[in-house]
Amino acid sequence: MKRKLFVVLAVVGSLALFSGAALAHHGVAGYDLNKTVTLHGTVTKFDWSNPHVVVYLDAKNEAGEMQHWTIEFAAPVHMVRAGWGKSSMKTGDDIVIDTHPSRNGAPIGITSTITFILKTVVNGQPLPTRSE
Amino acid sequence: MRIRNAIFVGALLAALPFSAGVSAQTAASAPASQATKPGLMANGIPDLSGIWDPDFHGPEGLRINTWDSSDPFAKNPDKAPMTPWAAEKFKSVRPPFGSLATFDNTNDPVQRFCDPPGVPRIYMYPWEMTFVPTAKIVYILYEYTKVWRAVYMDRDHPKDPDSSWMGDSVGKYEGDTFVIDTIGFNDKTWLDQTGHPHSDALHVIERIRRINHDQLEINVTIDDPKAYTKTFSATKLYRFTDAPMGETLCAYSEMKQFQENVVDKTQTPPTK
Repeated sequence: MKRKLFVVLAVVGSLALFSGAALAHHGVAGYDLNKTVTLHGTVTKFDWSNPHVVVYLDAKNEAGEMQHWTIEFAAPVHMVRAGWGKSSMKTGDDIVIDTHPSRNGAPIGITSTITFILKTVVNGQPLPTRSE
Repeated sequence: MRIRNAIFVGALLAALPFSAGVSAQTAASAPASQATKPGLMANGIPDLSGIWDPDFHGPEGLRINTWDSSDPFAKNPDKAPMTPWAAEKFKSVRPPFGSLATFDNTNDPVQRFCDPPGVPRIYMYPWEMTFVPTAKIVYILYEYTKVWRAVYMDRDHPKDPDSSWMGDSVGKYEGDTFVIDTIGFNDKTWLDQTGHPHSDALHVIERIRRINHDQLEINVTIDDPKAYTKTFSATKLYRFTDAPMGETLCAYSEMKQFQENVVDKTQTPPTK
């Protein structure tokens, strides 16, 4: 098993200013923007479509249990303008990604809105990010 | 549909000479002999040429959620100057933005059903827009859902316009400002991201001005005596961009898939 999967929880403050309009077509009330989770896993699907780009990945939690994560990004046109594309990653790629997790503890997160893109490294290559 | 597409294509074709001329003028400063008043083109109309992107990356103040400048971030959306009719209607709203926001359970007609956002809510979304002036009509093309409007420059409103999602728009130029007057809406859209309702008596006035080469100011005034006890307004800024307009359609199948795969899961009880 060449994949080393782990989850690191890190609390990132000063993000409380994110309010409603950070996302394109829906709010962010379902996510805890004061918390950032770093995942290291394997891409199982990269869905380049509207209303938002979504990456699905498998990663283990601290207890060593495999979790299937769903990570949301901004809309495709906004990701393109930030330097991303439909070939930015593919199934089977190694991925290290920061994400703001859902408030209910489910393995759902948001890594990008119109205003920010968190760290995303695919096969050792960092993809463009954007600070708030 | 075929007729509508023909009109749209015709508008684009008619605009090509305009766009080319403006681009040339933008790329290199016009000779002094051709200089015009600031903000105006050689033909005397406001220069709104270019592609405009909402300024979501600037100060927090530009990310407004309502058209009520006293509560731009919708911290107290229930305090808007609503009539009893509108206040009652507002009780059933579950918005995705503002202090009353819900994530998984919104009844936002755009998010849930891909309804057209309407005017003026179209300006609340972070997508580009551009103006296509023709002889008698100025078309406004919006990137979000690829919706467009026709602003008639050569007539008044019909006496009893048919109701529509984007309304009946007539326009005029006041110096460097493009003024659009719109009535004839249906009452199915929200005014803003927080679900403030409006009636079919909604009257929207847009005052659009290029305040410098890189910034466009859009001031929106809401006049709806059936829904609000007074008029109110707010201003949004757009910035000039070189990024071409892309495809951001609202396909119901994609919206449904996103709702099921992402949004609904945020309410799934965590497994232990």
